[in-house]
Amino acid sequence: MLGRGLKRKLSDYEENMAGLSSAFDSSRNLTYPLKRQLVLNMCLTKLQTYKMLVEPDLHRSVLIANTVRQIQEEMRQETSQQPVNVCNGLGLHSQNYTGVDSAGISAQLLSGVNQQESNCCDSRSAEEPIENGLLMVSDDDMSSAISSILKDLDFMEDISPPTCLVPAGDDQPKSPENVGLKLEDDRQELKGAECVFGSFEISNSTSYLKDLAIDDIFEDIDTSMYDSDFCCPPLMPSRVPPATTEETLKTFPTCNSSSTNNIQICRTDLSELDHIMEILVGS
Amino acid sequence: MGEDTDTRKINHSFLRDHNYVTEADIISTVEFNHTGELLATGDKGGRVVIFQREPESKNEPYSQGEYNVYSTFQSHEPEFDYLKSLEIEEKINKIKWLPQQNAAHSLLSTNDKTIKLWKITERDKRPEGYNLKDEEGKLKDLSTVTSLQVPVLKPMDLMVEVTPRRIFANGHTYHVNSISVNSDCETYMSADDLRINLWHLAITDRSFNIVDIKPANMEDLTEVITASEFHPHHCNLFVYSSSKGSLRLCDMRASALCDKHSKLYEEPEDPSNRSFFSEIISSVSDVKFSHSGRYMLTRDYLTVKVWDLNMETKPVETYQVHDYLRSKLCSLYENDCIFDKFECAWNGSDSVIMTGAYNNFFRMFDRNTKRDVTLEASRESSKPRAILKPRRVCVGGKRRKDDISVDSLDFTKKILHTAWHPTENIIAIAATNNLYIFQDKVNSEMH
Repeated sequence: MLGRGLKRKLSDYEENMAGLSSAFDSSRNLTYPLKRQLVLNMCLTKLQTYKMLVEPDLHRSVLIANTVRQIQEEMRQETSQQPVNVCNGLGLHSQNYTGVDSAGISAQLLSGVNQQESNCCDSRSAEEPIENGLLMVSDDDMSSAISSILKDLDFMEDISPPTCLVPAGDDQPKSPENVGLKLEDDRQELKGAECVFGSFEISNSTSYLKDLAIDDIFEDIDTSMYDSDFCCPPLMPSRVPPATTEETLKTFPTCNSSSTNNIQICRTDLSELDHIMEILVGS
Repeated sequence: MGEDTDTRKINHSFLRDHNYVTEADIISTVEFNHTGELLATGDKGGRVVIFQREPESKNEPYSQGEYNVYSTFQSHEPEFDYLKSLEIEEKINKIKWLPQQNAAHSLLSTNDKTIKLWKITERDKRPEGYNLKDEEGKLKDLSTVTSLQVPVLKPMDLMVEVTPRRIFANGHTYHVNSISVNSDCETYMSADDLRINLWHLAITDRSFNIVDIKPANMEDLTEVITASEFHPHHCNLFVYSSSKGSLRLCDMRASALCDKHSKLYEEPEDPSNRSFFSEIISSVSDVKFSHSGRYMLTRDYLTVKVWDLNMETKPVETYQVHDYLRSKLCSLYENDCIFDKFECAWNGSDSVIMTGAYNNFFRMFDRNTKRDVTLEASRESSKPRAILKPRRVCVGGKRRKDDISVDSLDFTKKILHTAWHPTENIIAIAATNNLYIFQDKVNSEMH
């Protein structure tokens, strides 16, 4: 992890980009909601990476945040269009996964959330075909992730005005008396002006300080969830025959065995990610 | 012109003698001066290299028009902002030449925060025979001065001196993405992610904030400024582009703070091409007024567009740069290539446009014939005076000889920065740490 105070360098990041394996793009048979979740996950991973930079690229952060907002809005609309039938629970799974109907999937997502809350993760893996089970587990994690993001984003929106620490001085250019003139006459005033210019970053860094304790906890949390569970579905080539799915499944033991724990971690993680969002959008 | 582009010939290719690419050597901007006699490049190491076009020689007809290194200097150094615990990179984001006023040349160079004005002067003579000073410039013992002489100018080896004239600091909180010199030749503007400042070239301690899109609450921020340019003839007009794909033309006569645009150029999104990445790929990475001032050229991730200043609803022309990447957007997002900022350029007569792509390819579009061509800037194909062969990217279907498939494109080799000579068909292409200068064959035969 990059320490604070280090220069933002994308070189490490860029090293990974040689060769377009195009895991996603080639696997066209991924359902739309699944693709959307994967994109959302990528967005969050990126935002998390940017959070570690002292001065994240504002342009990129805004574009990624907008993508998250767009996906979030889309999902919100879907859920409002489709009243959720919680009782359908398990019975729906196999049907939903065979069809690509997006409304059905969204119902599935929500039922998944309810499921994990009632702790019925264990019951399904035994009964259902492996293929569905795999999809469903990752989908469950994903749905819990998304719901918690949505919840947290809502929360963030509600409390957003008080979290804004930007000093009034920074908005001076907009006040009528100044009409956008920034006049500095001597060195002293230059320094003052620098403070005004820098005030946003200052407020930003205080919020970093404020969050430091949480950050440290965050560092200890195993984020492998993102590397394995969330990213796995796209990495699986579309042409994998059903026989190999069992093998693939073995590589993600966490999916089946300890999903409840993961969900817990995942939730903590996501509230953190939300924090990242807040800070990044706030920067 | 369409055919000319196909038979381009290499006039000169400047290769830095490194087989490996060090980060600092990566070229980050290319700019011709107003006559095209000089070409400046900036790199990630904060250096500016100026090339000068060699005068025509009767003995060696081929040497005409070759660009050779004229001067190299360190424009920006890495700095550390102690207040914010932030290192400021030395990378040169943009270079702009000032119109030449006297024998000296001047240019502006900027990194993320600080803009500098440099003066480039030549000295090829030195005065000799002072009465009171000796050769080294030390004062002579007056008792030894017995006769008076007239000092004379003696020729000497050409010396190019580069001196910093002004440093415009503390004007930007965010990263400066563009600078543009006004046609009044007295002012220039600098744009960062959220604000545009107007400066007088002679005054470094104050600037006028002419655009400010920073919301009161940063969480409401959904759009940033990506590029900005003054109109070539009307000193009151300028345009800025945004991350949402729109262009705003502002008139400084309307008000001092141009938060309200005079015209908004925006194209409605094509629903058939909608994806998660629609907004990201519509973000404008560069905007350039045509030489005539009638049109604007914009580049987004997949296309270049020509806008008529008189039509706000949609561009008059749209050219696909690499549409075959549309199906790869997710991977390009994953590896961050989707955020690459490609620039675009007009030719001298505004009839051809040029922009970069991946795999060291660059594209040219003839606006009249609607012909387009893909060319490659590579060491292998650029022996001096070789002719560039058009390249073709194969998208499924039949693959012809020499075609390259989409999957084998090298996304680390990208041509982001290109420049076109203001009057002639000479182009400069920055490919990572190499600068390629290509010249139109027909053009050179005319001389």
